[in-house]
Amino acid sequence: MLFLLILPPILAALAVPFAVSNTSGGARGRLLGVALVGLAGTLAFAFIAAVNGWAGMLVWARPIVLTAALTPISAAMAMLVPLIALPILAYATFHEEEEGLARLVAFLLLFVAGMELLVIAADLLTLLIGWELVGACSYLLIGHEWREEENPASGLYAFLVTRLGDLGLFVAAIATFAATGSFSYAALGGIPAPLAADVAFGLILSAAAKSGQVPFSPWLFRAMAGPTSVSALLHAATMVAAGAYILIQLEPFLASVPGASVTILGLGLATALAGGMVAVLQIHAKKLLAASTSAHFGLMFVAIGAGFPGVAFLHLAAHAAFKALLFLGAGIAGSRAGTYSLDRMSFGRVLPWTAVLVAVGALSLAGLPPLGGGWTKEGIVTAGEHVDLWIAAGVIAAGALSAAYAARFALSAFDASSPEEEKDEGYRPGRIELAALAVLAVLVVVTSLLWLPLVRNAVASWLNVELPEAKLVTFVLSTLAVLFGGIAGAVVARRHPGLGREGDARGAANWLGLPALIDRLVTRPAIGLAKAAAAVDDWVIDAMVRAIGKGGRQAGRLWSSLADVSVDSVVAGLAAATSRVASLGGGVGERLLNGLADGTALMVGQSGRDARRIQTGLSHHYYALAVAAGAVAILFLLSVS
Amino acid sequence: MLTLAILLPLIASLALALGPGFGERVARVIALVASALSLLALVVVWLGFDTGAGAPAFQAVAEFAWIPALGVAWRVGVDGMALAVALMSALLFVGSIAWPADYKGKARQYYAWFLFLQGVSLGLFLALDLLLFYVFFDLSLVGMYFLIGRWGHGDAEYAALKFFIYTLAGSLAMLLAILALVLANDTLTFDMRALIAAQPLRGTDLKASLVLFGLLLGFAIKTPLVPFHTWLPLAHVEAPGPASAILAGVLLKMGTYGIVRIPFSMMRETFAAYALPLAILALVSILWGAIVALGQTSLKRRIAYTSVNHMGYTVLGIAAAGAALGAESARTLALTGAVTEMVAHGLITGSLFLMAGSFWQRAQTYEMSAFGGLARTAPKLTAAFFLAAFASLGLPALAGFVAEFQIFAGTFAVYPWLAAVALIGIVVTAALFLSMAQKLFMGRAAVPTRDFPDFSRTEAAVVAGLLVLVVLIGIYPSWLLTLIETGSAFLPGAGGVR
Repeated sequence: MLFLLILPPILAALAVPFAVSNTSGGARGRLLGVALVGLAGTLAFAFIAAVNGWAGMLVWARPIVLTAALTPISAAMAMLVPLIALPILAYATFHEEEEGLARLVAFLLLFVAGMELLVIAADLLTLLIGWELVGACSYLLIGHEWREEENPASGLYAFLVTRLGDLGLFVAAIATFAATGSFSYAALGGIPAPLAADVAFGLILSAAAKSGQVPFSPWLFRAMAGPTSVSALLHAATMVAAGAYILIQLEPFLASVPGASVTILGLGLATALAGGMVAVLQIHAKKLLAASTSAHFGLMFVAIGAGFPGVAFLHLAAHAAFKALLFLGAGIAGSRAGTYSLDRMSFGRVLPWTAVLVAVGALSLAGLPPLGGGWTKEGIVTAGEHVDLWIAAGVIAAGALSAAYAARFALSAFDASSPEEEKDEGYRPGRIELAALAVLAVLVVVTSLLWLPLVRNAVASWLNVELPEAKLVTFVLSTLAVLFGGIAGAVVARRHPGLGREGDARGAANWLGLPALIDRLVTRPAIGLAKAAAAVDDWVIDAMVRAIGKGGRQAGRLWSSLADVSVDSVVAGLAAATSRVASLGGGVGERLLNGLADGTALMVGQSGRDARRIQTGLSHHYYALAVAAGAVAILFLLSVS
Repeated sequence: MLTLAILLPLIASLALALGPGFGERVARVIALVASALSLLALVVVWLGFDTGAGAPAFQAVAEFAWIPALGVAWRVGVDGMALAVALMSALLFVGSIAWPADYKGKARQYYAWFLFLQGVSLGLFLALDLLLFYVFFDLSLVGMYFLIGRWGHGDAEYAALKFFIYTLAGSLAMLLAILALVLANDTLTFDMRALIAAQPLRGTDLKASLVLFGLLLGFAIKTPLVPFHTWLPLAHVEAPGPASAILAGVLLKMGTYGIVRIPFSMMRETFAAYALPLAILALVSILWGAIVALGQTSLKRRIAYTSVNHMGYTVLGIAAAGAALGAESARTLALTGAVTEMVAHGLITGSLFLMAGSFWQRAQTYEMSAFGGLARTAPKLTAAFFLAAFASLGLPALAGFVAEFQIFAGTFAVYPWLAAVALIGIVVTAALFLSMAQKLFMGRAAVPTRDFPDFSRTEAAVVAGLLVLVVLIGIYPSWLLTLIETGSAFLPGAGGVR
């Protein structure tokens, strides 16, 4: 029953071709309608399912059973995904280029369906199915503008990096099956020690790849080749969110495996700091946001590793709202500027509404109270404090970096310094696009209610999670760090708008040189190996076969005269025997046999003619050799027995 | 009914070969009707097939005396595995016969050989007599030899001969092993059921080992496993598209089907003893096939090498299922996965090779560098090719995943390290399939592809028919898995799974 949850977006995707078939205009509006119906359907279904406690089961063949169920967190996630996707899809139908728009909308809807499948999964196989479908959809979406070769190439890069991570999920699933005979989440607790580590670290590997943690982070940059709405959906509520989501879901199991929590925490903190630095140095608006996605998922990993999955989930929700908003805003600025270079923007005067809405998202990204992103980041600081003060210090530093790049992004893109006369020229967002931004800004404001203890406690008890209480000292320190970071970001935006365009900063801005390292250590060796293997296959393995064949021909020549004689005599003997059989039979039998013989002769004759046409004159040598070899083998076998 | 499925195409083949008056159209209609009726006969058997718990090991059995003195008879019958593979084969034959081809002026002979090949191929999967099995095994070589040699292109005659000699050498090793196996039994019979029940050779003494090696050598060449695979790319490149589809989709399955039917079922102890080396050979095939495929520049050679990879998965599953290790449920899973892979690979790679044939027909080259940006003029071909490529790289919700996941899950419980290393193959196949599809269909349009037409209606219908099944199996495979798990190879104590 619960599996029906993924049907509305799939049906909507299938309906897309019909929505654009009559090209009388208004296709964008009809696409919008189809997308909204599909997503609202899933949203409503998720709500009803959560209220009624629905579950799902689909038997392939026992022991392979796909299952779905809703925990409080997965129910919330199942509603969050379509909620964030709604404004993004609306924006897509009116913002993106006409060419291929129907395909874009259909794949975006399928993307949401795949994500919903992995959200409701209650076993590792179902999770894996949704997980890989989401990856395939992102491949198709990143390469959406396929006429430029680089776009599908970027899609492939993203797909391969994340699929490499998917191997971890494969290992986790099959190891769980080997240990328990099932794939169910519920069985995870019963896995004995060595296999439990396989499962846990497999999960961590695939989550890290999906969520763009080091060293997998560069794929998020390549993913920027897709249209803005794709980036927004991919970074906010689907794909990237999947990694953190599954660790949140399975945190109790992961915490029980020695070393797992520490690994998650370490990966997350490293990514949060490295991603923060990369983002500050980035001059490309979308890549700045992409690096910040890695960094913020790093913060979620810290919370999970520290044992507070509830905080991580709330940060995921807050991040989804503000990151989607910022991407859509970056798309509008990019359309106006014709580039994503931050130093070519400053559209505060010409795009005032966009600027105001983006400011809401940027303040939340910076983690400034009283916005939602501020509370959830404070939660992560406190969670880190539970483990070690140094962890809290690291998170505070990551928060300062976050404030810095948020300030740089917002002030560079939307500061009001640009001259007024440009006002009536160039691209301006339409009503639907602005409405999409406004909806997301409202969602950001809604997440800000977490500052109210009443709301916070209600959410905690609804999600059935524990939220840490912040200490005043840490809070003050952390807020001071945010202010300091914000000022630093403003200085960059005003004084050094071209930071990251050239020199060392440019190299560092490209994920600290990680892509070049991956290229040198993985990509190029792999392709070189493939080329070398292909050559070996042709010139060594097949050459041996050819040599054997050559030797066989020579040996065959020796045998052929002898063999020809013996084969001839066998054939003659067979013919004689056949005629004797024929003469034995009488009446009907004789006629039947004759008919068969004639037919066979005709067939043989035809084959013979065919064979002669392509005969190289050597095959009887092979036969002779084969017969000889066979005779030797038979003798050998007989002597053995 | 099974006899009918074998004889219908053979009779039609004979009629086409002997009736000189048939024109191209008539020959095509006769071939299509005969091929489809043969498929229909198998569907009728399928409808009456009992998948219940108490189902017999073999169903729809028919037996006619042939050479009683030697214990040889015309024995046909199916278990779930045979029926599933035979149904897939018959469907692929219908599609390949319908696929537009360059007859080189000899339509009648072309269809006659195709029907002949269909008859003997189905005969192999349906046979319950070892000698009959062997006869069909060799006759299938003859049919394919002429299809490649006469209707191929380039150095077709050399390719056909290499294919023929290589697999014939393997089949001779197999014949000797079959004879030794039969002679080791107390009563002289070629009846597979009797041999499965008797287990004539046990243990790992020299004789049993040699017999096993002979059988495995024959099947390893046919499958093919590394290092016996070098006939495959050559034969594929020179073969016409539909013949390639049959070669990959049907003939390669004879190797893996044979392994399950004969050494796996009839020499369980010996097979279990040598399961690990076989599994390692399969792992080498998985990795080597994928890596070498990535290094190819011709699209047909690239697809050809992925068959080495995929058949490696199949053999890995069979080897794990035959090992006397691990939980029974895991080994059943591995075997189910292996048989599912046979069906999935037939449908997926069959449709990929048919599409590759379209490239030759339109541009007379397989070099990927000659193409680019084809999605502009051939959107349907693009969509179908991408879907097949995704299926082949094992994307969930498509048939290949169902097969490979079961193989991995089942094998991990038996040989964890082999399964874990084999997983690397799915990353390499993702790289090689998608980079190929991107090169062909995306980016700038290359010169010879400016006027590259899209699917004709026939092509679209055939590929759609095959790919619909790929999706159906991917989403809801339970009907196929239940079918596969019925019968001999899966009966506790009667097959390798105990």
